[in-house]
Amino acid sequence: MSYISVRNLEKRFVIREKRQEGALLRGKKTVRALQGVSFDVERGELLGYIGPNGAGKSTTVKILSGILTPDGGDVTVGGRVPWKERREHVRHIGVVFGQRTQLWWDVPIRDSYDLLKDIYRIPAGDYRTRLAELTEALQLGDLLRTPLRQLSLGQRMRAELCGSLLHRPELLFLDEPTIGLDAVSKLALREFLQWENRQQGTTILLTTHDMEDIVALCPRVMVLGHGRKLFDGALPDLLGRYDTLRTVTVNYEEPEAVPELPASIPLARDGKNLMISYSPQEYATAELIARLQAAGTVRELTVQPQNIDRLVAAMYREMDL
Amino acid sequence: MRAYLSAFRMRRRLEFQYRGAVLGGVVCQVFFGLILIAIYRALYAGKPQAMPLSQITSYVWLQQAFFRMLLASDPELMDKIRTGSIAYDLCRPLNLYGFYYVRIMAQKMTGSLLRAVPMLLFAFLLPEGWGLMLPASAAGLIWSLAGLLLGLLCVSALENITMGFTMRTLDSRGMQALLNLLMMILAGNILPLTLFPDSWQRVITLLPYAQLLDAPIRLYTGQTAASEAPRIILIQAAWILVLAGIGLLFWRVNQKRLEIQGG
Repeated sequence: MSYISVRNLEKRFVIREKRQEGALLRGKKTVRALQGVSFDVERGELLGYIGPNGAGKSTTVKILSGILTPDGGDVTVGGRVPWKERREHVRHIGVVFGQRTQLWWDVPIRDSYDLLKDIYRIPAGDYRTRLAELTEALQLGDLLRTPLRQLSLGQRMRAELCGSLLHRPELLFLDEPTIGLDAVSKLALREFLQWENRQQGTTILLTTHDMEDIVALCPRVMVLGHGRKLFDGALPDLLGRYDTLRTVTVNYEEPEAVPELPASIPLARDGKNLMISYSPQEYATAELIARLQAAGTVRELTVQPQNIDRLVAAMYREMDL
Repeated sequence: MRAYLSAFRMRRRLEFQYRGAVLGGVVCQVFFGLILIAIYRALYAGKPQAMPLSQITSYVWLQQAFFRMLLASDPELMDKIRTGSIAYDLCRPLNLYGFYYVRIMAQKMTGSLLRAVPMLLFAFLLPEGWGLMLPASAAGLIWSLAGLLLGLLCVSALENITMGFTMRTLDSRGMQALLNLLMMILAGNILPLTLFPDSWQRVITLLPYAQLLDAPIRLYTGQTAASEAPRIILIQAAWILVLAGIGLLFWRVNQKRLEIQGG
C-alpha cells in the first residue's frame, strides 16, 4: 500500500448566505469543496498540487494534516487515518502555511525552536545536529537570536521551514511557500527543498501558484479544479497538450526588413524587434527561420516557448475552471 | 508535560518584555484604587457601615493589584484564531485546550504579579483608612495564597471558555465584552462583594466569579475565618473541575467542526 492513499475524498462546507429581503432566516448554501478525489503518493515523492484559487487544494492539505474531518472517503497516511489518530499522525508530519506563522513574533526564533523541541520531544543531541544542519542549509546562523518581527519575508519563510523540519517529519506539506519572495530567496528555497527531499527522503506535497516552483521541483503534478482531480502525471505531459505556440523575436541589421510569411501568422513590431507567434505543428520552425533569414541580415534571433503561466491559464480555461 | 511547561515559560517571558505596559497598568490601577477609596471614605463619612473601612480599602487594593488576572486576554491567541494561524497549533501532538490553558495562565500570573508587587508595596505605605492592612493572621495569609492560586486556575479556565466562543464567532469582542462585564461585577472588582446585601452574597459567593479574587481576599482580610478556609478551597476546586471540563468539551466540539477559512 502506498504511503499516502486517498480514496473518494469528499468535503462540504455550509455557507450562510446574506438574508434575502422579506425572508425571515438566512439561507444556507452547501459548497462541495472536494467531490471524490483519489490519489496515491509513494514515500520520497515530490508532488506538486496545482489548481486555481478555491479548487480545494488547501482543503485536501488540511484533511491530510488532520485538521479537518472529511465528509466522505478514506485517507491513510503511513497507515494512519489523520483525523482519527491526530496526535500520533501529526508527530510525523511537518507543515508550512505560506501566509501564516508558527513562530513567536516577539522572541528570538531560536526560542521558538526550543519550544518545538519540547513539543515534539526531540532528544537534545538530535535536536542540536538537526538544528545545525538546517541552519546551515537555510543560512539562518546569524538570525537565530533575532526576534521574528525583525526578519524579512524571505528570512521568515526560511525560519518557518526550519521550524517545520526540526522533528524530521516523514511528510512535509508546503502551502504556497514562495509567495511574496524575491528571486534569490525563491531559488534558495527550491534548492533547499530538493536537498531535504534527497537527503532525508522526506515526502513533499507542494501547493503553489508559482509554476516555476513546479517546473523546478516536481516530477509529478496533480491538477485540481472544482473539487475534482483533472490531471495526475508528469508536467511535460500536461503542458504538451497546451504548449502550441512559440514566439520568435528577430532583430535585423536593416530597419526596413520585413519577412514574407503566410497571412495566418501575426507579426508585431516592438521597437527594433519583430515578434512572430506561430504554432510549430502548423508551420515548420525550419521553414520559418529560412524565411526570416531571406528577408535581411539577422542580428539576433530567439525562439521561446509560451510563458508557462499562459499555458496554465489556457489549461484552466479549457477545463472550465 | 514538558511541552506545556515550556509553553508556560515562553509566555511568561513574553510578559516580562512588555515593561511599559506594566508601568502603565500600575499607574492606572493605583489611580483607580485611590478614586474608589475616596468614594468609600465619602460614603462612610456620611453613614458609617457595619464593615470597618480598613477592610474595604484592603479589598479595593487587592482587587486593583490583581486586576490583570481578571481582565487580560492574550491578543496573540485571538489573532491566531482570527487569522487562521491556529492551523499550526492544530498540527501539534498536543492537547490544544491544555496548550492554550497554560499560555493563558502564564500571562495572567506573570502579568498580575508584575503589577501586584509594586502596587501592594505602595498600598502598605499608605496610612490606615487609605491603605492595605496586614493579613488577619498567618494562617489567613497562607490560605489566601492557596486561594489565589486556585483563583488563577479558575479564571484561566473561564478565559478558555471565552476563547471557545471566539473560535466560533471569529471575533473576540461580542461574547468577551459580555462575559467580562459579568466577571467585573460578580468578581467584586466594581463593588466589593462584601458590600452586597447578605442574601445576595449567599448566592454570589457560590458562583465561579467569586472564586477568582473575592474568596482569597476574604481569607486575607479575615472576613472568612481560617477555620472556614477548607470549605472555600473545596468550592474553588469544584469550580475548576467543572469549568475545565466544560472548556475541554467545548474545544473538542469546536475542533471537530472547525474550518480554517481561506487558502
